[in-house]
Amino acid sequence: MSGFKDRADLALADRILKVAVERTAGTAEAKRAVAVDAFPDFEAARDRAAAIKDHVVAHLGAYLEQFEASATAAGAKVHWASTADEACRIVIDICKAAGAKSVARSKSMLGEEIGLPHALAEAGIGRVETDLAEHIIQLADERPSHIIWPAMHKTREQVSALFKAKHRSPHAEETIAAMAESARRELRTQMLGADVGISGANFLIADTGAVCTVTNEGNAELSLVPPRVHIVTAGIEKIVPSMPHAIHMLRMLARSATGAALTQYTTFYTGPKRAGDRDGPEEMHIVLVDNGRTKMREEGLAEMLRCIRCGACMNHCVVFRQIGGHAYGGTYPGPMGAVLTPVFDGLKESRELANACTLNGKCQEVCPVRIPLPTLLRGWREKSWREGLEPTSMRAGLSLWAWVATRPRLYRLGTGMAVRAMRMLGRKGWIDKLPLVGGWTRYRDMPKPAARTFMAQYKKERRS
Amino acid sequence: MSARDTIFARLKGDAPSKAEADALLIAPERPRVDEAALEAEFLARLALPSISATHDVIDDMAQLPAAVARYLESQNEALTLCMPPDPRLVACDWQGFTLHDRAAPDEAAAIAVARRGIAESGSLIFETGPTAPMLPNFLALHHIVLLRVDDIMPYLEDAPLPGVQPRAHYWITGVSGTTDIEGTYVRGAHGPRFLHVLLLRQ
Ligand code: SF4
Repeated sequence: MSGFKDRADLALADRILKVAVERTAGTAEAKRAVAVDAFPDFEAARDRAAAIKDHVVAHLGAYLEQFEASATAAGAKVHWASTADEACRIVIDICKAAGAKSVARSKSMLGEEIGLPHALAEAGIGRVETDLAEHIIQLADERPSHIIWPAMHKTREQVSALFKAKHRSPHAEETIAAMAESARRELRTQMLGADVGISGANFLIADTGAVCTVTNEGNAELSLVPPRVHIVTAGIEKIVPSMPHAIHMLRMLARSATGAALTQYTTFYTGPKRAGDRDGPEEMHIVLVDNGRTKMREEGLAEMLRCIRCGACMNHCVVFRQIGGHAYGGTYPGPMGAVLTPVFDGLKESRELANACTLNGKCQEVCPVRIPLPTLLRGWREKSWREGLEPTSMRAGLSLWAWVATRPRLYRLGTGMAVRAMRMLGRKGWIDKLPLVGGWTRYRDMPKPAARTFMAQYKKERRS
Repeated sequence: MSARDTIFARLKGDAPSKAEADALLIAPERPRVDEAALEAEFLARLALPSISATHDVIDDMAQLPAAVARYLESQNEALTLCMPPDPRLVACDWQGFTLHDRAAPDEAAAIAVARRGIAESGSLIFETGPTAPMLPNFLALHHIVLLRVDDIMPYLEDAPLPGVQPRAHYWITGVSGTTDIEGTYVRGAHGPRFLHVLLLRQ
C-alpha cells in the first residue's frame, strides 16, 4: 500500500471526490448545528455522556460480567475474542455449524475493523451487505470512506453506473429515489433468504443483556429477524449500565451523527426467539471483541473508549473534508481514525496520520463524549518522535531549526530575510507557488506574510 | 488461557457502585415536553418532516376498520392487510378486507398495535410476543399503527415496560429512509415508505 502522503495527494487532485465529500459532510455539519441549538443544554449533556462512558470504562470488567450473565440468562451465547482473527474464526465457526451459505450483514464498523467481509469470502460464505451505502461499496469492491456514510465518496452518476452494471432489474430513471428503489428490489429477496444475520451493536445493556442497534433504513431488522441465527460482533467498550444510560447516549448519537432527534429504527434484542414468538432467530450469539481495547485502557487511550462512532469529528475536520476517508488508509478515518489506526495497524505504519492534523480543535468541540482528540494525536506524535520513527530528513530539519532558534540574532536575520523573499512572491495577498513547499501550494494558496516579522513589529511598537 | 480469561485478567477492578451509576441519571438533559399536552406534543413531532407520519383519530375500536379503509383508499391501495393475531384487532369487524397474518416479501400494508407513544421524539414503541410479530412492520410499504392516547408518555425513559424484557423492544420514529447517495434523503429505503397512526381516544 502506498503511504498516506501519496494517497492524500491523489485525493487532493480528485475534484469529484471533494464535491462528493463536501455535499454530505456539509449537510451533516449544518443539521447537527440546528439539532444542538434546539437541545436544552447540549454542553451539560456532553459532560454527562462522557461521565457515563468513563464510569463504564473504569468498571469495564464488572459490567462485562454482568452483561454476560444477563445475556446468557436470556438465552444468548456469549463468546470472547482477544484479537481480530479470533473474532472472525468464532463467527465463521458459528456460520459453518449452522450450515450457512449466505449471511445478511447490517453495517458494523467493528466488522470492518476485524476484517469480517474478507474472512467470510475466504470461508466461501456469500455476504449480502444490506445497508445501502455498504451495498454500493460491496458492488464497487471498495472500503468504507466514512463511518456513517460509507459511500460518501461516490457521486450519484457513479452509483447509477454501478447499479446498471450489477442489478438484475436496475432503475430506468436517473434519480436518487429510483436508484434506492433498485437497491430495495435487489436486496429484499436476498435479505429474506439469508441463513445468518450479522450485526454490530451500538450499545450493550449490562443489566438486561440486550443488544441495541440503530439504523435509518430498517435494514438491521430485516437482516436479523428472518434468519435462523443472529450473530452480534461488538467491541467490549459498547457496554452501558442500563437502558436509561443507553437512552442518554442515543439522544447524543443521533444529534451528533445526522442532526436527527433519533434514528428511525432503534431496537433492543434480548436473546433469541421465545416460546410462542412468531418470528426471530432460534440462536443468538454475541462475540465480544477486545482487539487492542484493554491495551488502550492501560496505555493512555482510555478516553478514546468513550467513542460512540457518530462521525461528527470527521464531518467537522478540515483535513477530512479535503481528502475524504480512503486517504487515511485504515478502517476508521478522520480524527478518531487518526487516533485509532496506530492501535490496530501499528504506529510505524500510520504515524503520518497524527502529523496530518492541523490541531485546530474542531473535532474536540463537537465530540458528544468530549474526547480530547488533538491531545491524543499529540500523544502519538510524541511517541513517534521518542521511538525514532520520524524520518531522518524531519529530524535533521528540526534540529537545524532548533540550532538557529536558540541563536536569537541569527534567527531574526533569517526570518526577516524569509519575509522579504516571500512578499516578493505574493500577488494580491496570496502566494500560489512557493519554492520547496510545492506540496502545500499545489492545492492551496499561502497568505502573503506581513511586511515585518512579529518580533520586528513588536520591537517597533515598544519603541514608539 | 482462554480469550475470556485474558480479557478479564486485564480488567480487574472494583465492582461499580449502583449509587454512582444512578447518579449519572439524575435530571437528564432532554427535549422539553409539555406534560399537560402530551397528545398535541406527540402529534406535532409526528408531523415533522423528519418523521412525516400521518394520523387519524378514532373514538372506539369499532371505528378501526373504517379508519383503516379510509387510509388505504386514500392511498389507492386494495383493502388487503397483514394483521397479527392480536385479540384487540381480531375482535373488530373486518368485513370487506382480505386479511392474512404472515407478511409477504412485497407486503402492501400491515397494521400493529404500539405499546407506547413518546412525545419527546414522536416514537412508537413496540415489543415482540406471541401476538406481536416484528417482521411485518418492516416489510410493509404502508405501516399502520394503532395507539391509545393514554399510552402516550413524555420521555424515552418511559419507553421500556417494567419486568422481564421481551425478545425485541423497538422504537419506530418515522419511515425507512436513507441519505446514502450524496446525502439526499429518500423515503422507503428498505422498509415502510408511509407511516399512519390511528389514535384511539377511548
Ligand atoms: S471521536 Fe467523538 S466525534 Fe468522533 S466519532 Fe467518536 S464520538 Fe463521534
